[in-house]
Amino acid sequence: MEDLKKLYDAILTGNFKSAKEITQQALAAGADPQAMVQQYMIPAMDEVGRRYEANEYFVPELLISARAMKASLEFIRPLLIASGAEPAGRVVIGTVKGDLHDIGKNLVAAMLEGAGFEVIDLGVDVSPEKFITALNEKKAGLVAMSALLTTTMNSMKTTVEAMKAAGVRNNVKIMIGGAPVTEKYAEEIGADGYSTNANGAVALARKLVAA
Amino acid sequence: MTETVRIRLRPMGADIEARRGTPLQDILFAYGVEFPCGGHGRCKGCRVRVLEGSLPVTPAQERMLSPAEREAGWRLSCQCRADGDLTLELAQWEAQILADTSSFAFSPANGFGIAVDIGSTTLVAQLLDLTRGEVLAVRSALNTQARFGADIMSRVAYAMEPGGHAKLVSVLRTQVGKMVSELLEASPVPASPLTDIVLVGNSVMHHLFCALDVSPFSHYPFESGTLAQKDFTARELGWETPGNPRVRFLPCIGGFVGSDILAGIFATGLHESSDPLVLVDLGTNGEIVVGNRDRIICASTAAGPAFEGARIYMGMRAATGAVSAVSVEEGMLVCHVLGNVPPRGICGSGLVDAVASALELGRIKPGGRFVDGAPSLMLCPPVKISQTDIRELQLAKGAIAAGIRLLIREFGISRDDVARVLLAGAFGNYVDTGSARRIGLLPFASDQIHPSGNTALLGAKMALFIPPDRLDTLARSIQHVSLSELEGFQDTYVEEMLFPDPSDLADHSAP
Repeated sequence: MEDLKKLYDAILTGNFKSAKEITQQALAAGADPQAMVQQYMIPAMDEVGRRYEANEYFVPELLISARAMKASLEFIRPLLIASGAEPAGRVVIGTVKGDLHDIGKNLVAAMLEGAGFEVIDLGVDVSPEKFITALNEKKAGLVAMSALLTTTMNSMKTTVEAMKAAGVRNNVKIMIGGAPVTEKYAEEIGADGYSTNANGAVALARKLVAA
Repeated sequence: MTETVRIRLRPMGADIEARRGTPLQDILFAYGVEFPCGGHGRCKGCRVRVLEGSLPVTPAQERMLSPAEREAGWRLSCQCRADGDLTLELAQWEAQILADTSSFAFSPANGFGIAVDIGSTTLVAQLLDLTRGEVLAVRSALNTQARFGADIMSRVAYAMEPGGHAKLVSVLRTQVGKMVSELLEASPVPASPLTDIVLVGNSVMHHLFCALDVSPFSHYPFESGTLAQKDFTARELGWETPGNPRVRFLPCIGGFVGSDILAGIFATGLHESSDPLVLVDLGTNGEIVVGNRDRIICASTAAGPAFEGARIYMGMRAATGAVSAVSVEEGMLVCHVLGNVPPRGICGSGLVDAVASALELGRIKPGGRFVDGAPSLMLCPPVKISQTDIRELQLAKGAIAAGIRLLIREFGISRDDVARVLLAGAFGNYVDTGSARRIGLLPFASDQIHPSGNTALLGAKMALFIPPDRLDTLARSIQHVSLSELEGFQDTYVEEMLFPDPSDLADHSAP
C-alpha cells in the first residue's frame, strides 16, 4: 500500500485534486475503504490537528486539508455505509441560538469528520428544539455547541435545560466551545466537557464516546 | 497603622493617596489604565510592575503570569488591593486619542456649539465659535465605561446584568456632561449662548447614551429598531449647562454602524462623490463604507483587538516604550521606539510593520508560519513577536480585508474602480500604509489610500452648521449589509487570512 502514503500526504498538504485521484485509483485497485480511513486519512487529520495546535498550521491550512479529506471521503463513505461500518460516533453540531459566528464550529466539524465521526451540522442560530429533534432523529450520542459571544453563550445553558426537559439529556454527551467558554462555565451549565480548539475537540469527543 | 497609603505611578510620576485596602483597579482607572477583560484576571492588559512595596500573587495571577514575570514584580492590578505604600510601573499609560484640526467649509451660524466623538475607548470634545468656525477648546478622555468591559460586546453583556444598563447610561452621561462644563470653563462663552451639542458614536454608544435597550445587539441578527437621532435638552440629561442647550445624538446607520461613520461619510463628502470611495475605520470593530452620490452601502466586521496591541504577547498601546514602527535597512530589522527609552512592548502599528518587514525579508511564509519554524522573532531585545501574534494579526486583517472585498463586490465594482480609500480612526492614521498593503490589510495601490484623521469628530462639527434633520435623511439612504450572510463569506475570510504574494502586489505597486 505504498501508494496510499500519498493519500496521507495529499490530505496533510491539502491537495484536493490528488486526494481525489489517489482515492479513486486505490478503490479501483481494490483497496479496503475501512483501512484507508483508519490507517491513512484519520492519521493525516490527526497530524493536521497536531500542527494546528502547535501553531504550525492555521485556519486556512486546516480548512484546505479538511477539504482534501472530504474529497476523498465522498468516494469512500458510500462504501462504508454499504459495508455496515459504524462511524467513530455521531455528533450533532451547531452554533447556539442568537449566534452566527461559525468558522470555529466549522473547524471542529471538519476535524471530527476527519477523525471518523459522522457529523450532522445544523448550521448557525440553532434553537434548542432543533438540537433536540436532530438528536432524536439521528440517534446521535454527542452534541457539540458553540458560541462566540458572551451575550449568546447563555443559549448553551438554555439548550442544556431544554434537553433535560425533553428527557434526552441522559442519552447524549454534551461538549461546548467558543471564545468566551471556560471549563467553569461548562461545569456550571452541566456540559460534559469543553475544548479551546478544534484539535482538542477531537480528543474530547473520543474521550466522551469511550466513557 | 495609618488609614491611607501612598501609591506612586511610573513612568507618569503621579503620587496618589488612597484609603488602605482600596482595589488598585479603582485607583488606576482614574489614571487612564484600561481593563481589557473587565477586571476579571483573564488578560494581562492591566499589569503593573512593583518597584517598591509588595503585592501578593493570587491564583488568578499565577495562571496568567509566567514565573519570570512574577519574579520581575509584574502583577495583574485588577486582582490587587492597596494594602501598603507602593511604587508601580504601568504597562500602559497613554491612550491614542485623535482630535481634529482640519479646516472645513461652513455657512456661519450664531452662537457656540460643541461636537463630541464618543468612542468605546476614547472621547473627544471640541467647543466651536459658530460664527467663525473656530475651535476654542478641546477635551479628551478615556471612556469611563471601559471599566465595565473594554469592547462594545462586553458593555452590552454588562448592560444586560441587573442594574448594569442604568450604570452605563449614567456614567456616560455624567462624563460627557463633565467634558461640556470643562470646555466652557476652559474658554468661557460670553454673552452669546451655547445653542447646540452634537454627539456621534457607534450604535451601542448611541443606545447607551440615549438610555435605549441594547439587548438587540446581544444576538443575531444584531438589529435594533431604535436607530433614529435622539434630541435632549441639557437639563433632561441632568446637566446644568448655561442656556440649557439642545443635545442631539446623531442617528445610527444599521447594525453596529453608528453616527461616527455617518459623520465620517458626511465629512469626507463620500455621499457627494461621483467616483466610488471607500471609508474604513480600523478598530476592534472595523467599519467599512463603499459608495458615491448614488448609493452607499456599509458593514461592520469584528477584527478583534490585535490592532490595539491587545492579545499580543508583548502588546501594549502606543505609549512610551512601545515599538511603533519597524523597517528593513540593509537586510536588518530596525525598530523605532516611542519616547526615546528602552523598548518594552509593541503596539498595533509596530506589529503590522514587523510582520510586513519579516515578510519582506522572507522570514514569514505566506501562510503566516515563521520560515525556520521558530516560536518567535526578536525585533529589538527584549521585544519580539510570537507565532501566535502573527495568527492574531491574520485573523484581524483577514476580517477587514474580507469585509472590504465583499462590500466592493456587493457594490458591483472592482478595487481598481475605487477612486480613494479613506482611513478614519486612530489606528488607520498611525499605521504605515505600505505595511498595511504588504500584509494584505488594505489591498489597494498606495496612491489610493488616504489617512483622513478623525472624520467622526469633523463630521459632528460640520453637523452644527446644517439643518438638524439632514443627517437623518442621509442615514436612512445608506444600506447596511450583514457580511456573514453574504455568499462566500467564510471562503473570502479564510483566503484573506493569508499574506499576499509580493507578485500579487506588483500590479498594484507604486512605492
